[in-house]
Amino acid sequence: MSNSTTDFTLIKAARLVDGTGGPPTERVAVLIEGDRIRSVGTEETVLPPEGANVQEFEYNDQTVLPGLIDSHVHLIGFGDDRMGDELATIPDEVLALQAARNARTHLYSGVTTVRDCGAKNRTTFMLRQAMQLGITPGPRLVLSGRPMAIVGGHLSYFGVQATGEVECRAAVRQLVKEGADFIKITATGGSTRTSMILRPSFTVDELTAIIDEAHKFGKHAAAHCASTQGILNALDAGVDTVIHGYHRDPDGGFQYQPKVAERMAERGVFLNPTLNAGRRRIRVLEDKLESEGLTEAEQAELNETRQAHDVRFDHVSRMIAAGVKLTCGSDSAWGVYEMGDFQGEVDAHVEAGLSPMEAIVSATGDSARSCWIDGDVGTIAEGKQADLLVVDGDPTQDIGALNNVVDVFQTGTRVDRGNYV
Amino acid sequence: MANRLQTLRRLTAIGQRLTESRKVRLKHSGASYKLISGARLIDGRESRPIESGAVLVEGSQIIAVGPADEVAPPEGVPVEVLDFAGKSIMPGMIDCHTHHNGFGDGRLGDTLKAIPDEVLTLQSARNARAALFSGVTTIRENGPKNDTMFRLRDGFREGIGIGPRMVLCGRAVTIVGGHLSYFGPAITGPVEARAMVRRLIKEGADYIKIMATGGSTLTSNRLRPSFEVEELRAIADEAHKFGKLTAAHCLSTQGIVNCLDANVDMIIHCVFQEPDGSNRFREDVAERIAKQGASVNPTLHVFRARVWAQQFKKAQQGLTSEEQAALDDDLRYFDVRLDHCKRMIDLGVKLVTGSDSSWGDYQLGNTPYETECLVMAGYSNAQGVRSVTGDAAASLGVDGETGTLEPGKAADILVVDGDPHRDITRLWNVNEVFLGGRRIDRGSQDSRAATRQHPPP
Repeated sequence: MSNSTTDFTLIKAARLVDGTGGPPTERVAVLIEGDRIRSVGTEETVLPPEGANVQEFEYNDQTVLPGLIDSHVHLIGFGDDRMGDELATIPDEVLALQAARNARTHLYSGVTTVRDCGAKNRTTFMLRQAMQLGITPGPRLVLSGRPMAIVGGHLSYFGVQATGEVECRAAVRQLVKEGADFIKITATGGSTRTSMILRPSFTVDELTAIIDEAHKFGKHAAAHCASTQGILNALDAGVDTVIHGYHRDPDGGFQYQPKVAERMAERGVFLNPTLNAGRRRIRVLEDKLESEGLTEAEQAELNETRQAHDVRFDHVSRMIAAGVKLTCGSDSAWGVYEMGDFQGEVDAHVEAGLSPMEAIVSATGDSARSCWIDGDVGTIAEGKQADLLVVDGDPTQDIGALNNVVDVFQTGTRVDRGNYV
Repeated sequence: MANRLQTLRRLTAIGQRLTESRKVRLKHSGASYKLISGARLIDGRESRPIESGAVLVEGSQIIAVGPADEVAPPEGVPVEVLDFAGKSIMPGMIDCHTHHNGFGDGRLGDTLKAIPDEVLTLQSARNARAALFSGVTTIRENGPKNDTMFRLRDGFREGIGIGPRMVLCGRAVTIVGGHLSYFGPAITGPVEARAMVRRLIKEGADYIKIMATGGSTLTSNRLRPSFEVEELRAIADEAHKFGKLTAAHCLSTQGIVNCLDANVDMIIHCVFQEPDGSNRFREDVAERIAKQGASVNPTLHVFRARVWAQQFKKAQQGLTSEEQAALDDDLRYFDVRLDHCKRMIDLGVKLVTGSDSSWGDYQLGNTPYETECLVMAGYSNAQGVRSVTGDAAASLGVDGETGTLEPGKAADILVVDGDPHRDITRLWNVNEVFLGGRRIDRGSQDSRAATRQHPPP
């Protein structure tokens, strides 16, 4: 953290994308006072007060946009194909070290806010405490702590296994007490070996108790739904974000359900489709196919993943067409998706049918709305926290430009992306 | 002590021969070679610097050292040539006394104990990076909370983060209510003492740290010994049985004497103070230290850092008359300690650099301040360099592995601007750090500069 005596920071850039979806503006200036944006406009209209101490940054050919908001991360993950069952055996102190490494990597790659969708025990709360003590850098954290799971359910080894409405409410209260900013629910099984991906987990009554308790404290709820009945149950219970959102039946068949999209669009429930994880998996298997060949099982997995990829992109594009709002969340470092490449998920949103501008909004303004932090971040507007990203090129023309990170500002201070201490 | 170290060295020599025979097989296996040359080569031993020297590194190990024209890589293999003309090449620094849990912002253990282990582990990782980036390639940690340092080592083994080689005690062995007794279970009696040593070794301890007197811990008494000699003997004997060295915190004279009776290998702090708090140098005790071959880690700068903190406060906001009187006392006391160290040097006691950071007001990443203090106490610049390289390694029993630039040693190497043999403050001017042959990416200059502490104006 810089201990600067500068009161004002003035950022001039060739282009500004403000995160609302409005047209980009040219030859812009953003004036920051302390940690907040004071005014946004052109070089002529945005002037610091007379005699103020101003630090200036000029980006003559670059685009300034809101710092990216990854609404789905697992900070304790490695992205080296270890699943949760294996992560659960690693001591909490070591997972906290890994979380710090991932937090730093993501921040330096341009992500200024993450929503962590499930960690073991209190590891992410401890990371937050360390960040508050100035021990380690990282993005703004929106934390769930441990996910709400049923006995044997997905991620149940991370510390919560609740049964019945009473235990569910008690578990939510405990998480809120420890510092949870939202409640993550695994509403179906997942990769956890003892869980069933095609079946719902909690009953609708249990889900309702969890979500009602969360809302009572002003916290939102996001539910992992890897099959259709899970989505329907979560919607019945009033969930705010559907994660994955697979239209999948108990027999494993992918079957698009228009009513799911209709209900989500009508209620304004966000979809976090986590599309890039599949693309990553395909790339890893294809690389292995080329370098050393695949086993029969791996070849079958590759075929299946490719098929699922096509179906999922089709389903998501239909949900977009039906008016469902997307929130961009990478799901890294889960599976084989390492942190530091949130841009890959933004790119997948473009592949699924969003325009580059819409994809940017899904990763900034709408991502902030899905995390219930849009009062603070997500757009470049007067009064918002000065979390900014500067990239080379124009990402509204070519989404790949998001990878050309020039500078990252966090609460008004330029991040030293070469700081590894 | 001498016998034990000889045995350890013999074992290390066997290890080296094994490594060398392996090397013959490796010779043309495509292992990577680096040839590091510079204006001056300081090997960390008693030898004179080599003008225009070079080090040849194969993978993680040094395989040849000498004048540049005599050190030639094997023919027909690709070699990365790194020429640091005008600079000095020396062994990576070894800090014999660190506290990775600490912050160096005035906080002591009674405050640290309230911080959760996960957070202390993260702080330990940050301190490890700060130390490595400053040129410290080996540390001996002197007493963290619970399992935090073992977990940090697990993290390094997982490939999470980077830091110096670590010689760990796990937790310090201490009496009920004794110094740092809130960092883990305390013990009473020789039986519990042996059990604790066995348990620490099982958990991964590389040496045993003993709190032989009280310290800053509020419930302890620094002017009094803690353990009975019989307990100390049990601890030291059990440690030595497993080939582990011992080091004891001694803030008053009777603690030192007890540790010498128990054959402890390193005396830490080594403060000559009587139960009434008076300073009295004991030549007889110093002679015994020298005769037994125990090393001394006097931790001078951690005290000076407190003085500096007070002087900063004075410059910024002024001091009360009580604070000013305490500062004057501290300044006088620092001179007493320098004098005691000088007399130990004259009696042939081997002093080593161990910073005691991050404890009190002294932050990791600032090890050269302690070496500077040893030079102030009477060491030559060359002795100062050895106190933080070769001699430090020998005192930790890791001299078979690191601490000097010699064939068979790990390629823990610094490139330094200027000549630390002429001016010890050149230890601050580290240009490059190699750890086990790997050139360390130390990040931005600004981030490194932020870890440096400065004296008051």
